[in-house]
Amino acid sequence: MNEKKLAEPIVRLEKVHKHFGKLHVLKGIDFSVQEKEVVVIIGASGSGKSTLLRCINYLEVAEQGKVFLEGKHVHPTKGDINHVRREIGMVFQNFNLFPHMTVLGNVIEAPIRVRGMKKEEATILAKDLIAKVGLSDKLDVYPRMLSGGQKQRVAIARALAMSPKVMLFDEPTSALDPELVGEVIAVMKELADEGMTMIVVTHEMWFAKEAADRVIYMDEGLIVEEGKPEEIFTNPREERTKAFLKQILKD
Amino acid sequence: MPDLFRYIPYFLPAAWMTLVITSFGILIGLLIGFPISLARLSKNKAAELAAKAYIGFIRGTPLLLQLFFIYFGLVRLIRLDPLPSAALALGIHNGAYIAEIFRGAIQSVDKGQIEAGRALGMSKAQTLRRIILPQAFRRALPPLGNQFIIALKDSSLASTISIRELVLTSRQLASSNYMMMEMLMLAAVFYLIMTGALSFIVHRIEYKMSVGERAV
Ligand SMILES: Nc1ncnc2c1ncn2[C@@H]1O[C@H](COP(=O)(O)OP(=O)(O)O)[C@@H](O)[C@H]1O
Ligand SMILES: [Mg+2]
Repeated sequence: MNEKKLAEPIVRLEKVHKHFGKLHVLKGIDFSVQEKEVVVIIGASGSGKSTLLRCINYLEVAEQGKVFLEGKHVHPTKGDINHVRREIGMVFQNFNLFPHMTVLGNVIEAPIRVRGMKKEEATILAKDLIAKVGLSDKLDVYPRMLSGGQKQRVAIARALAMSPKVMLFDEPTSALDPELVGEVIAVMKELADEGMTMIVVTHEMWFAKEAADRVIYMDEGLIVEEGKPEEIFTNPREERTKAFLKQILKD
Repeated sequence: MPDLFRYIPYFLPAAWMTLVITSFGILIGLLIGFPISLARLSKNKAAELAAKAYIGFIRGTPLLLQLFFIYFGLVRLIRLDPLPSAALALGIHNGAYIAEIFRGAIQSVDKGQIEAGRALGMSKAQTLRRIILPQAFRRALPPLGNQFIIALKDSSLASTISIRELVLTSRQLASSNYMMMEMLMLAAVFYLIMTGALSFIVHRIEYKMSVGERAV
């Protein structure tokens, strides 16, 4: 753990602020993630979790503060954000698969267009990843024909195809029927075990306990508390964290 | 009744003329409409304003006026023959409607699609070309087909600048054979055949392009 601390974090946010109009959504976020670390972010709806994730890959631009990837800061308008984004995988709540492309088409698209990979090469890579998420029999199927859990597994394979340095997950299982949550969480757990750096917004407590190195509790645009999962879940320091945990553990 | 058939040879070149005007009108309409739709959605205020002005002007004035504007009005600037005038008028007119169809289709694509593309590192242009437009074109097809049929029928206005398409031909024939009703009916039959064929073709294309959106 000590030598990790010394290394340059993969992602670092420095005093990040974000407004939507008058709404102050992120109120000075300081946050960093080391290589191979798995961080779970929890917090009430509207507390700014998605916005925090989206600031990391510039889907939202923080108007104050800085975002660093491997120690390098990229200017959101003058810099090459496409270059940054290709190193950051993102998995959305609503999958956002490309409906006009097959499962294979979805996965090879970015490696070909963005990395300039040859189609044959991308196909080999994609087939590997699709096998990894357990969908080899669905290569030529269109997303419409898949269940939610299968869609999300394809979305994970699609993000992985860019060989990202870090993966962002924004409530990847909250649009799923309860019986389909497990298959997605299992894939994520496997990724975590393989040493993928992950930042995950989720309220799946099992995943947080089993896979997270660190849990962060956010409220009203601030990081209220962070610590190892067992600390946060069994012995939260802040009243707000306690109240929130009581709330979600009840459900 | 059977001797109506002997008029068919007169109608064939007229139907061909209707088809030519309509085809060029649609082609020009697509060539204008697509870039105008992008301009209309552009962040560039000047481009957006220009597109809005064009669409507003065309939709707010009659096609007949636009046709006269090009054929008679532009005479001092450029002298166009009836056929190019009609094709151009129909094209410029349809361009505005087609632009609105494309705009609607592009806007109907879920914003999450753009985000997914951008999050993978694709550029704006790549995301537009590879992700947004293929989905938008598919959605634009039914209203486009509709617009093409309107264009086919609107081509009849070319009769007012002495183009011998279906309507003018039927009137000219009637003036010598005194069978106005019959001649107009014959023209109607030709229109029905062509609009029918057009919607059949559009449906075929729609079906072919609906892969992934239809249950296999
Ligand atoms: N694009 C946007 N425009 C305006 N308000 C937004 C936008 N995105 C998020 N918000 C608002 O910002 C706040 C935080 O949102 P979000 O980061 O999505 O929270 P969380 O993911 O924790 O539920 C919410 O009040 C939400 O309504
Ligand atoms: Mg959210």
